[in-house]
Amino acid sequence: MKSLFLFDMTFWLYLAALVLYIGYLFARRPTMALAPAGHLPENFDERDGVWATQLGQVATLVTIFGWMLNTGALFTRAFERMEHSGTFAPWSNQFEAMAYVSWAIILGYVLLEMRYKIKAIGAFVVGIGFIAMGAASLLPYRYQTAEPLVPALNSYWIYIHVSVTLTSYAAFATAGGLGVMYLFKERAERLGKTTGFYAAFPDLETIDELGYKAITVGFPMLAFGIILGAMWANYAWGGYWSWDPKETWSLIVWLIYGAYIHARMTRGWEGHKAAIYAVFGFLMVIFCFWGVNFLLSGLHAYA
Amino acid sequence: MNSQPDALPKEPSIRPSTPGLGWEEFSRELVEFFASVKLAIFLFLFIAITATIGTVIQQGERAEVYVQEYGENAYRWFLRLGFTDVYHTWWFTSLLGLLCVNSLTCFYKRFPSVWRSMKQDKVGVTMAFIKNMKQQAEIPLDNTKEAVAQQMVHHFVTKGYRVLAKNEPGEVTVYATKGVMGRVGAHMAHLSATVIIFGGLLGTYYGFQEFGVCLEGQTYHIPRGNFDLKIDKFWIDYHENGSVKSYNSTLTVVDGGQSVVTKTISVNDPLVYKGIWFYQSSYGDAWDQVEVARVNIKDKETDKVLKTVDLEWQKEQSLPDLNVKLSITDFVADFAFNSTEKKVYSKTIEHANPAVKLVITERDSVQATPWIFQQFPDLFNIKESKYQFELVGYKPRKFTGLQIAKNPGINIVWTGCTMIVVGITLSSFIFHRRLWAKIVPGQTGVTVHLGGTTHKSQIDFQKEFRKLTEKIQTFKA
Repeated sequence: MKSLFLFDMTFWLYLAALVLYIGYLFARRPTMALAPAGHLPENFDERDGVWATQLGQVATLVTIFGWMLNTGALFTRAFERMEHSGTFAPWSNQFEAMAYVSWAIILGYVLLEMRYKIKAIGAFVVGIGFIAMGAASLLPYRYQTAEPLVPALNSYWIYIHVSVTLTSYAAFATAGGLGVMYLFKERAERLGKTTGFYAAFPDLETIDELGYKAITVGFPMLAFGIILGAMWANYAWGGYWSWDPKETWSLIVWLIYGAYIHARMTRGWEGHKAAIYAVFGFLMVIFCFWGVNFLLSGLHAYA
Repeated sequence: MNSQPDALPKEPSIRPSTPGLGWEEFSRELVEFFASVKLAIFLFLFIAITATIGTVIQQGERAEVYVQEYGENAYRWFLRLGFTDVYHTWWFTSLLGLLCVNSLTCFYKRFPSVWRSMKQDKVGVTMAFIKNMKQQAEIPLDNTKEAVAQQMVHHFVTKGYRVLAKNEPGEVTVYATKGVMGRVGAHMAHLSATVIIFGGLLGTYYGFQEFGVCLEGQTYHIPRGNFDLKIDKFWIDYHENGSVKSYNSTLTVVDGGQSVVTKTISVNDPLVYKGIWFYQSSYGDAWDQVEVARVNIKDKETDKVLKTVDLEWQKEQSLPDLNVKLSITDFVADFAFNSTEKKVYSKTIEHANPAVKLVITERDSVQATPWIFQQFPDLFNIKESKYQFELVGYKPRKFTGLQIAKNPGINIVWTGCTMIVVGITLSSFIFHRRLWAKIVPGQTGVTVHLGGTTHKSQIDFQKEFRKLTEKIQTFKA
């Protein structure tokens, strides 16, 4: 299958991008981050800045190129599916779903970088995108091929229900990555490390706020995804809610983030707590996405 | 999602200091408790935690299954706590009810102020109020207060703000606001919980879900809808690799003796008639009918197979060379005999011990109707017959499994779902912003005191605020 080759290439490009982003963090002179605008710090070396900037640019380019390949792979898979299984949706099994999630994570990251111009986040968020792609490629081969769909899945609902839900997972993954980043930065600050790697990170408040934003994107999306699933279930199974493990877990994840969003209102749930919570929430998403399929039985056990 | 007062400097509130615990005080406390975000967070997490139970422990299984897996003691506890059907226990339902109470009380308590801020706004504020805000700036300008105010109002309006201004002799106060829909959205989401749960209850009490096993060619009465359903046809489509692509049934609704609707349903494509939905849910091998059965006829003496015949269901077939007429009149997939009623029936729907009832007419004299078993070929012996009959195979008739459901609450549930999606989308992407500016004339020109507040998206607002400040600096006479 041609798409498998493209997925493989995407994996390597994401790895390269991740390495470049980490390189960027190291290359960036710590003083640069701390210097107020327009004031050159002492012992400033012009070349360091240039070198870091170039590295950052290459990282972004590689990421974008990897994302384009990912897009290409998904399209190729869609055509392969059309030949064999009567659906276009390139997210019809666990492998494809993972590849789609990493596509969405990287797209989200690129948009984030374009808007906020903070490259340091790449080391974490592109990292998660890469891990998602890597985990997909670790699946046994029989999970990676475009097998025909079982009758229950063979419906136009798969286009929208699955993609919306997976996109919300991607948003939560981004929030999880930002949470980890926050904790790293916080620890560095506590230990008084203002030099090196950590100095290139944006300030804590920004990381916190971006993480929150990612969750506010994921939260309504997951709600929409669950509801689309309910509509589909009503069409296919004759009941919109049957407390099937996957359904229940997606509701659990939604409730967990619902608690977060409410907690955030009452202050005090910013920063440290919020970061830990975002990581915890992401772990729950992983369980909902992977754990349920492999550990629990139910209607969604198609993988 | 809640509309907590966002970082506004608190103004002293007047509370009546009645001693003791009067009803007023009590009901206020009660509303306070039920509307609290704390309760909401507790409920969200508690429901999340308890909901995991039903995903780990199999729901609605037979007692033996639990005893085998968890032991008798654990099973007793399961029953006491309702763990075998968690989602329908009184305590889980109460949690959902409490969530409704929580969100409704929150709406009751907080929505009026959101409504008021949509209708009327507080323009007049003190200078201290502005200076206390998270985002605030002081901009000296060489201009008159009226000119600055005019440009400011114009700029805010082009930025999509709703602007109110108050011109007083000493100063001009400008108030601008945007995105109150974000808060309305949050409350819409709050109401949706109750709407969804109400729709769900309606479905539970006034709806039904049944499973019907139907055979091709048969007509079934649907008592709940008082009409008949005829199964015209059932078939399975396959992919090239042999896996099942879809299964389909052609159904005809017969209402009042007349065919009303005919539709081919398949998985994901149900038939709806009079609010009753017919879903293609499953299929399987019938346990009381076969299409065709293969029978070996052996000579008793030589134990040699003389002939193998395929007998069609309930059709007599004559074999002139053996002078035998055969027909199959009955079939059971899992043979069992009810000795009190003297009846043969199928114990389960599994094809565990298949048997057919053979009607034999031999040389016009011998008549026999033995049950012959696939697994026990020697069980029955017809004394007068020269032959031994053996069931060697059969092709069962397929049944179509139909899910029959009616849910009068479904549209209410969808309404609630729309509300929750629209509501949380609004509240996630639109944030309520408020700006106040006081333009105070000084000795040379004026000083603009600008302050702003939002309840979320602080960085975006910070950016926006900086841009506004920069813009104001360019206001020329």
